[in-house]
Amino acid sequence: MGRSTAGLIDFALIGHQESWRAAADVLAVLRGPERTPLPDDEIRDILPWLPPRAVCHVDIESLGGARARGLYIDSFIAPDRLADAYIRDNIARVRGAAAYAIKAGAKMVSLGGFSSILIEGNFDQLPQRHDTVFTTGNTLTVGFIVQGIRKMCAIEGRDLRRSTLLIVGATGDLGSGCARCLARDVRRVLLTARNLERLRRLAAELEAAGVEVEMATDLQQFSSEADVVICAASLASSSLLLGRIAPEAIICDAGYPKNLAPGAETPRAKVFFGGLGQVMGGLTFTPDFHGVLNRHPFPDVVHGCLLEGMALALERRFEPFSQGRGFITPERVEEMETIAARHGIYLAPLYNANGPLEETVESGCGKLCFASGHD
Amino acid sequence: MEPRVEPLTDSKCALPAAFTSLSPSALIWQDVLAQAMTGELLAAMNYTSLADICDDPAEVADALEHAQGERGHAAAFAAEGRRIGVSVTNNVDARHWKRLRQAFLRCITERDFIACLIVQEIMLESFAVASYARVGKVAPGSLGKTFAAIAAEEEDHIEHAMEILRAERALDEQRFDDKVHQLHLEVMTTLAEMLARDCSHGHCEVCHGSCVKPALPDVRLSAAELRGASLHQYLKTLDKLGLPGEVTLTWVAQLPV
Repeated sequence: MGRSTAGLIDFALIGHQESWRAAADVLAVLRGPERTPLPDDEIRDILPWLPPRAVCHVDIESLGGARARGLYIDSFIAPDRLADAYIRDNIARVRGAAAYAIKAGAKMVSLGGFSSILIEGNFDQLPQRHDTVFTTGNTLTVGFIVQGIRKMCAIEGRDLRRSTLLIVGATGDLGSGCARCLARDVRRVLLTARNLERLRRLAAELEAAGVEVEMATDLQQFSSEADVVICAASLASSSLLLGRIAPEAIICDAGYPKNLAPGAETPRAKVFFGGLGQVMGGLTFTPDFHGVLNRHPFPDVVHGCLLEGMALALERRFEPFSQGRGFITPERVEEMETIAARHGIYLAPLYNANGPLEETVESGCGKLCFASGHD
Repeated sequence: MEPRVEPLTDSKCALPAAFTSLSPSALIWQDVLAQAMTGELLAAMNYTSLADICDDPAEVADALEHAQGERGHAAAFAAEGRRIGVSVTNNVDARHWKRLRQAFLRCITERDFIACLIVQEIMLESFAVASYARVGKVAPGSLGKTFAAIAAEEEDHIEHAMEILRAERALDEQRFDDKVHQLHLEVMTTLAEMLARDCSHGHCEVCHGSCVKPALPDVRLSAAELRGASLHQYLKTLDKLGLPGEVTLTWVAQLPV
């Protein structure tokens, strides 16, 4: 890696590290094995000063043999600076990363993780160039969240049609997309978010389609318990759901960063990380960042938002598939899932903070057993 | 060997009688000013040396003008010291500064004008612009204004050199980038050691007493911040030159701490 990449880059993935441990691992790879790793305090000192830039090349190959070449660009948003207080600086960092992608000649740019959340309502703040398009990647993320919910219900022997679905962060792009995809398949939908006006609009839209909806800005206001939960916005702790969810509720942590775990307060809850896909063709990083940039217990697992850009690049469809907030429909999700599947990109095996959730299925448990020991 | 001290320090500036009763922050600024003055005098020496290898009379005049400008900056820092009642000394033979000077002189020996510009304008000035700008934000009154004004002037230097360096890089990118990397390994390694959290290799030979770094938070600065800002400025300057960002990121990540 080193010389000019213009003209050779199909896609760029903009991301950042979700923990200091992950940031340390990235810097350790860059330093090389012959140098001692940087001490943690040094990393905390240095990282916030790094301007956005490419960290590695990413090559993806579809099952059908199509290939696309890209860059992973880190915005170097510090893991402890995701709060609202840093929003201007963080948007500036995503803008910087976007400018880097444009300069590198990327035709398609995916906004990963928190970058997507920052920009979904602020696309006009991204630098413009006619031959580079941006996608939040949220459509494929929604697809994988919904697939994950269906898979967990099937494994657990739950009938989704009899479930009460709670969506936390319902008015965001992911939350509203999940609501549209799942509302008609469940008995009742509970929507919660901070913005009451947006909640009212979404509830009205779903009710017009015949869905039974309840909405609240405070979880404690709901009159019934949920047994399927999608956390489309990060929750500080699963204990915040206490009292509003069934003891054995299925909880999809689709927020960023993912920070829910089966806790002491909700020991029987079935928590899984949602919105992740797996590349079945080939995925290579140069230099080798396998297991560093994609820290998952299964190989070649990547966030859906990034996979959307890669799938579109493999398809040679360089278009802004997901932009803005609130435009994700079941039809668009199905279209995106079809494109992804054509290139061997499928829902990733399920797991949570305690480890893989599907390992025990393969080992003959018969029913999904959680790493925490509860079933 | 006795450290060589450039005669910029005003020898008539006796320490105030009440020196020992000066505020602790004045003593911190004294060391900050001493480092800055040393850097400016080193830059003046570098530009004077550069004039020796220039063939074009206009370039000679330009280099000498720059040298004079850097001496002016050093004088301004000395004056700021007097204003707050401290004597600002310098030591261009101090361990880190001497290594930086030697690196520059090797480029002079090789009559490598481009290498000289890379060391002085890209590496040393990035460090100066970033750290002066940070000091300018927190230092009180006239002291802060002087640092901020000199940071702005130094930035103009960089812009001037960038035109020459961009043209040079366009001739042969690989060769140019390899040259920058070789110089980076020597010069930026030295700067990284200078700006390390602790002076683990011994006293820097510029600070008056013990190392000033642990006291910097008392004036709302820190060695980590100065280092971070300097590396940021350096990376952005290399970006403007056109060096691949993923390559320069690796260079910076490999610097000593």
